[in-house]
Amino acid sequence: MYGKGLRALTFATLIALSATFALVVFWAPNDADQGFIQKIFYVHVPVAIVTLVAYVVAGVFAIKHLRSDDRRWDLRSYVVIHIALIFNVVGLATGAIWAKASWGHWWVWDEPTLVSFLIVFLLYATYQPLRFSIEDPEKQARYASVFAIIAGAFVPLNFMAVRMATSLVHPRTFATAEGGLPGEMMFVFLVSLVANALLFWLIVKYEITQKNVTWQLRALRRRLLGDDAVAPIGRSAAPTIAPERAP
Amino acid sequence: MNPLALLAAAPAVPYDKAGRYVAAAFIVLFACVLIYVAIMATKLQRLERDLTDLNAELDRREASRVEAPDPVGPAVGAATTQETAS
Repeated sequence: MYGKGLRALTFATLIALSATFALVVFWAPNDADQGFIQKIFYVHVPVAIVTLVAYVVAGVFAIKHLRSDDRRWDLRSYVVIHIALIFNVVGLATGAIWAKASWGHWWVWDEPTLVSFLIVFLLYATYQPLRFSIEDPEKQARYASVFAIIAGAFVPLNFMAVRMATSLVHPRTFATAEGGLPGEMMFVFLVSLVANALLFWLIVKYEITQKNVTWQLRALRRRLLGDDAVAPIGRSAAPTIAPERAP
Repeated sequence: MNPLALLAAAPAVPYDKAGRYVAAAFIVLFACVLIYVAIMATKLQRLERDLTDLNAELDRREASRVEAPDPVGPAVGAATTQETAS
């Protein structure tokens, strides 16, 4: 059952998000340099971190798929990349808002952190068209897994390269040599990171459960009414797991 | 002092430019979650519709089975059972 523990996870996410919002607005101190604007940090940075970690996790799921030939791992990898792309858009949007508020520009092209995050987004934006271009489900799953592994390996390499590059304006958040975050800010940041990670995992679980229920229902319709009663799927970017293999 | 008046006098999110930008950043996140919930609601409605169709089909089959019982009558069935037993 994919939906197991969904209710508990929903409540935990709700509590964590509410706590984050309350802490950011009422408790976290204002930054000495940027003032209230710096509070965008508590939504922008955790979303960006969750996005990048999710891409790596999708790569791990893809490895499991290739090793076991179990299509459920392909489904997990697909859903994680799908939701990570949405988080990526949120990260880009909140970053642009912060840039406008702080630097006066929506985007700065010669800043490695921003451009690299955009490159990662554009890289993963090709994942869905790649899947859609391959009609055979087996081949589609295999090629998509290879893509997820290579792209997943690129993400940490890209992150390290950017950290080593000379930054122009974008701050290095956890650079201890420059002081790092004060305790209260770090606490709120960690709560926000947990809340965003829970939100991500919750959405992934909802998505996988929904897909599983759809497939079970489709199989039931076929058993009750025959093959003619089930419309053909046609070409799809989403993986199609055989119902009998769904737990 | 009235808490609402206090909040209006010293809001948690300032009314100035900084407050608007911070609010916008949070609204982006919540809007995405809301859109996702709306999409999920549509998918759930579709699943519910499919399930209702299947239930209706099952009801129809059960009703037709009650109206037109099995052509093999109980006497023949009993004989068959006896033959099997012997």
